[in-house]
Amino acid sequence: MAERRRSGDSWARSLAALRTGPAAFLARAGADALASELLSDLRGERLSDYTKVSLLAAIQEFAPQLWSEPASAEDAACELLDTLALLPPRPSALHRPLLLAVTSVLAACGALGPSSAATGRLLALLLRAASRRAAGPEQRALQATACECLRELESCRPGLLAGRLGLLRGLQAALGTQPHRLLFALALRNALWALGRPGAAGLQGLLTGPPGETQAWDWTLEAPGAPQPGPWDWTLAGEALGPGAWPEPGPGPLELQPPEARELRAAVSQLLDASYLLTPPAQARLLRQLSQALRAVRGQPPALLKPQLVRLLGTARLSLLHAVLAWKDAFGEALFTAQDEALLLRRLVGAAQHPALPAPARLFYLHCLLHFPENWPLGPADEEGAPVLLTPGLAAGLLPSLLQEPPDLLGRLRLLCLLCGEEPGPEAQALDYLQGLLACLRRGAAQPGAPRSSATLCFRASYLATRCLAGHPAALARLIEGLADLYRVRPCLAPHFVDLLEQAGPVLAEPLGKALQQVAVAGSGGGPALRWHLQILTKVAGSQPLGPTLAFLRAAMGQRGAWGREQALLRVCRALLRGKGLGGAAPGALANLLQELARGLDDPDGRDRARLYYGLFTHLSAPKLGSAMGPALSTPMPGSSLVEENEGFTAALTVQEARAPLRLSRVPQQAKEPPVVLGLAVEASEVLYSLELRFRVLGPHYEPLEAVQVPCLRPGAFPKLLRLPLEPRRPYPAVLDISALYATPSGLTCHAQLPQLPVAFADLFLPLPQSSAEKSPSCAFQELWASCLPGGVESCMWGPWRGQALEALVARHWEPFVMAATPPASYKVAIRLPPSSRLLLQLEAAGEDGVRVALRTDDWAVLPLAGEYLRGLGAAT
Amino acid sequence: MAQRAIWLVSHEPGTPHGGTVRFSRRYPTVEKRAKIFNGSSYVPLPEDDPFCKALLFELRLLDDDKDFVESRDSCSRINKASVYGLPIEGRELWPVLAFQKNSLIYVSIPLVEQTLSPPPPLISISGISQAFDLLFGLIDFFDSGPKTEVDLSTKVSQLPDLLMHICPFGTLLDSNFLLDNFNNLSINQTLKQPAWKAGTYKGKQQVAVSVTEKVKSMQYDKRDVADMWQVYGTITCKCDLEGVMPNIIVSLNLPTNGSPLQDILVHPCVTSLDSAVLTSSSVDIMDDSAFSGPYKFPFSPPLESFHLCYYTSQVPVPPILGFYQLKEEDSQLKINVHLKLHESVKNSFEYCEAHIPFFNRGPITHLEYKVSFGQVEVSREKSLLIWIIGQKFPKSLEINLSGTVNFNSMGHQKQPVDTICIGGTTYVKLYFRIPDYTLTGCYADQHSVQVFASGKPKISTCRELISSDYYIWNSKAPAPITYRSLLL
Repeated sequence: MAERRRSGDSWARSLAALRTGPAAFLARAGADALASELLSDLRGERLSDYTKVSLLAAIQEFAPQLWSEPASAEDAACELLDTLALLPPRPSALHRPLLLAVTSVLAACGALGPSSAATGRLLALLLRAASRRAAGPEQRALQATACECLRELESCRPGLLAGRLGLLRGLQAALGTQPHRLLFALALRNALWALGRPGAAGLQGLLTGPPGETQAWDWTLEAPGAPQPGPWDWTLAGEALGPGAWPEPGPGPLELQPPEARELRAAVSQLLDASYLLTPPAQARLLRQLSQALRAVRGQPPALLKPQLVRLLGTARLSLLHAVLAWKDAFGEALFTAQDEALLLRRLVGAAQHPALPAPARLFYLHCLLHFPENWPLGPADEEGAPVLLTPGLAAGLLPSLLQEPPDLLGRLRLLCLLCGEEPGPEAQALDYLQGLLACLRRGAAQPGAPRSSATLCFRASYLATRCLAGHPAALARLIEGLADLYRVRPCLAPHFVDLLEQAGPVLAEPLGKALQQVAVAGSGGGPALRWHLQILTKVAGSQPLGPTLAFLRAAMGQRGAWGREQALLRVCRALLRGKGLGGAAPGALANLLQELARGLDDPDGRDRARLYYGLFTHLSAPKLGSAMGPALSTPMPGSSLVEENEGFTAALTVQEARAPLRLSRVPQQAKEPPVVLGLAVEASEVLYSLELRFRVLGPHYEPLEAVQVPCLRPGAFPKLLRLPLEPRRPYPAVLDISALYATPSGLTCHAQLPQLPVAFADLFLPLPQSSAEKSPSCAFQELWASCLPGGVESCMWGPWRGQALEALVARHWEPFVMAATPPASYKVAIRLPPSSRLLLQLEAAGEDGVRVALRTDDWAVLPLAGEYLRGLGAAT
Repeated sequence: MAQRAIWLVSHEPGTPHGGTVRFSRRYPTVEKRAKIFNGSSYVPLPEDDPFCKALLFELRLLDDDKDFVESRDSCSRINKASVYGLPIEGRELWPVLAFQKNSLIYVSIPLVEQTLSPPPPLISISGISQAFDLLFGLIDFFDSGPKTEVDLSTKVSQLPDLLMHICPFGTLLDSNFLLDNFNNLSINQTLKQPAWKAGTYKGKQQVAVSVTEKVKSMQYDKRDVADMWQVYGTITCKCDLEGVMPNIIVSLNLPTNGSPLQDILVHPCVTSLDSAVLTSSSVDIMDDSAFSGPYKFPFSPPLESFHLCYYTSQVPVPPILGFYQLKEEDSQLKINVHLKLHESVKNSFEYCEAHIPFFNRGPITHLEYKVSFGQVEVSREKSLLIWIIGQKFPKSLEINLSGTVNFNSMGHQKQPVDTICIGGTTYVKLYFRIPDYTLTGCYADQHSVQVFASGKPKISTCRELISSDYYIWNSKAPAPITYRSLLL
């Protein structure tokens, strides 16, 4: 109980622990216990408001962890709303955090929806708070929070507020605050998107709905006896889950009637005119949403947006310029003429190189330049490219220099590469500049003791450059020469070289591999560099001439050394075995080397491996050797032979999941007395041993079924017939879930799931026991008929069987059950339904019109099933 | 357009973990949307500790960058615009926007309203610019005022309350964290009250306009390489004016021979811009027909001090022209530095210093020098000479420093390696400030501020020129050149 009475300090410690590691803390404390403790302490009066605010912040932030089920979240939200109702009417520090917490709990835990009572209470309360005329800072702050909560709910369930558009429009016009404007803009966009879906049409007068009455403020946000508003309209609200229902424009633009379109334009203009009054991030959002709203409607020219452009283009705010670029992307030439496009591009160039702006902002503008939404793009949409209008002259100030920070330098280098990548010509100067820059970066990375970041920068720059140097062989040769020199000076950069060889395409990898092999076999850097040379050779030796590598390996073998070096030697050998340089006279030398390794290595495991390589090399042809040495593409190579061995062993011991190699089909079967028997035929598509078929009846109305064993099944053999006895507890249809367990000829045990099998109502029919010989069948039937009432029920229906149809029907479906008949006009049918019910039918042909069917049963629950069954027969004819 | 989470991480080199999470805030409602939008490419947010570790590793702030690690060092992992991908439990958390400033790392993860594989271009992520706004706002907040540990802790403790106002559900409502008290707005907000102005000012009315110009330069003293210099300015305003939305027009003027302002970017409170202001760009070739003002900025000011506009300009000459010659002779360096102040520049500095650093050579052991003006200080451990020129250049406007320097090359290992200044490649960097002066000539005075409000506010203006990245490279060795230097 001590835990139940936490003090403020204790809560502060607990919440800090919760923040540091929510999963571990909740596992220790129990999510349910903590959640209920949080809720009860919020209601209590021991804790200060300050502590309660921190509890609410935790609820808001960790709601999904505290209430993983929508039902518990719904309860928690109700409890929080009750707490809110209990607050004194004067403003307190708890009002706003409580609203935020309830909203978060409902929206984040999946409880938001038409069936949630808390949702209804919260929406009504928020709308009330948002529509009062606020006086004083506390009321305004609470109102802003209410609007923000509504906006978040609308974000999580787009279309939620579509039915209140008129009210929201009225509010933003009357109260004119930023939160109201943002709320209306979002609701408007989402509503237009929702209306664009198939089946919806027009704005349906939503925009001109009843204006909101702004009443005087009432602090009792939720008075206990306050009248609840009418039911919420959820028709346009998207589904809570599922990407398909997520806000996106409908398949085609929405068609609006001219008056509706006028209303929409008026509403958008009003918001645009006031956009200057919003904070820059809010403006950016509003501008984006309004452009999306306009795009959702057919025939709405974006000219409305134009008056804002000059103001926005002039600003230094990243989010506003980003919003303008989004407009450019959305409307293209409809909003930006060729001159406008040129101006926007020049502004962007200016911003991307403006020394007064922070470096990350400049880099973002540079990124925007490389993805500039051109009116008439030449390249593919999602790829980086320099816009046509961006000439080397215009971009001169955007090119990289050595003194820039690495991200800056790389971003600009990308642009430089794009400018060089074009046809050789006036860009020659840019190409020279690029090469000079790369040389400087290599010089920096070559410095002894240079930080790894300088090497990383150099290799990233080289990687970017190779992508554009493919068309400039001379420049590529210089780059490769420079990189080989860098390796000669600092072999410890080998991992970077291996990475570059892997990432860069064959344009660089092949010539660079050759150059590196030459440097490596020359053995520069002496003993300490040996491990790096071996690493490089592992990568490149396979595709290079064998001789120099073998000579180098032989020399390296002389330097007896650590296990690591021996392994590295073997790795190079393996690369050689996999490689394509095995022709000519060299193979003998390689075999000799492997033999020497098998004798000379210190490590016994290493010697074994060398021997294995030797054996494989001398016995397998080249393609087989390649596949034996290389990892298979489909299965990852196991880390050790033990793992590999174990995998086979484990497979033999465990049951494998498989696709069913057998088919079950129904065979008609008629039992004379209980139990009901289901006839099945089993066919296999491959040989199966010890097959066990397991049946499970879905639902509670049958006794469990025994498994059926089949010793052996062979494909092509006559299907095996099975009789499956059913013991219903009630005479209802059912579905059988079937699985099979069997052994394969290779010794594996497999489990397979088979398609489900329905048991129909008619499958349960049994004939009634023969009555005593002295009564006529007709009398016996009449007795049965009479005995059904009053405990049972009676019904009658009309069957559409004319003429001979009735006779055929009876012959086909009820022959074993007919007790008395005067063919072809009248039949009396008695059916036993296990375990203990009866169904009696009297069928009388009524001329050409059809058949009158009277039915009685002693079990009222059978009546709907019987009716359905008979209607099914009627439909079948 | 929302943020999934915000972090503030302090980088603490030398401590076992290399840093700690000072603050974190997650937004579960946004996270729920992220799950739906991202689909199978969704990567959940990690807890604070693994996040901090992955971030510091990616930013290379842990001390273990001895070995090559593919997930960080691979040549194809090129981050864009401070956006990183952090490996978390075998998957990549992206896009993580992180800025580092003064040992604090500001991080935000914007919601991406589409699938993340393949990663969409940043320009198509609407939340990314909001993340920039948010982090710039946070940096302004933490950069203001004193920066002791106590102040930092106080500010961190204010964050939950500030975020409840500014970003209650991960959607940014304002990027100004500096509004000191949200609950005590001074008057009722009216219909036309901008959201970026929390209340109205009451008190003595005054308007302050200051022009700060910075000058950058790269001088090579080489025949085939052009020297470069660039001026850029910031106009800062603080307007204490009564009324809901008082209107002001600030006009910046240039003297007849002044250099036109270009690449003008204004604060969002500026209501309209002349098309000549909008189109004057540094990418154009300058001629006499260029618009040369006055540059009029009509606006209604926010309460706080703000940057009314930024500009750049191309002035005909650099304020100080110089050359630097360094030669290695018999294990010692001979240096010669010559500086000349242009006659058109005001010869009245607050300070003027030339810093002469030596790289990759170890501490200075011996120095002999001759200086025509000013004094020289030696910082032996840092291998740095500081030539203090003082408040004025002599009448000739030319000064010279020459000398020889010896080093203890054994002490070299202890110093960090510079990867640019290798061999003879090195520079002199100038630091100076000239009050009440601008290179462009740009100024604002009493008459250039028009206030449309009741009462007559006091108007004060000032201007200054400050050096920024002012390099003079050794002309006897290769120097890192910019592309523009090659064009001329």
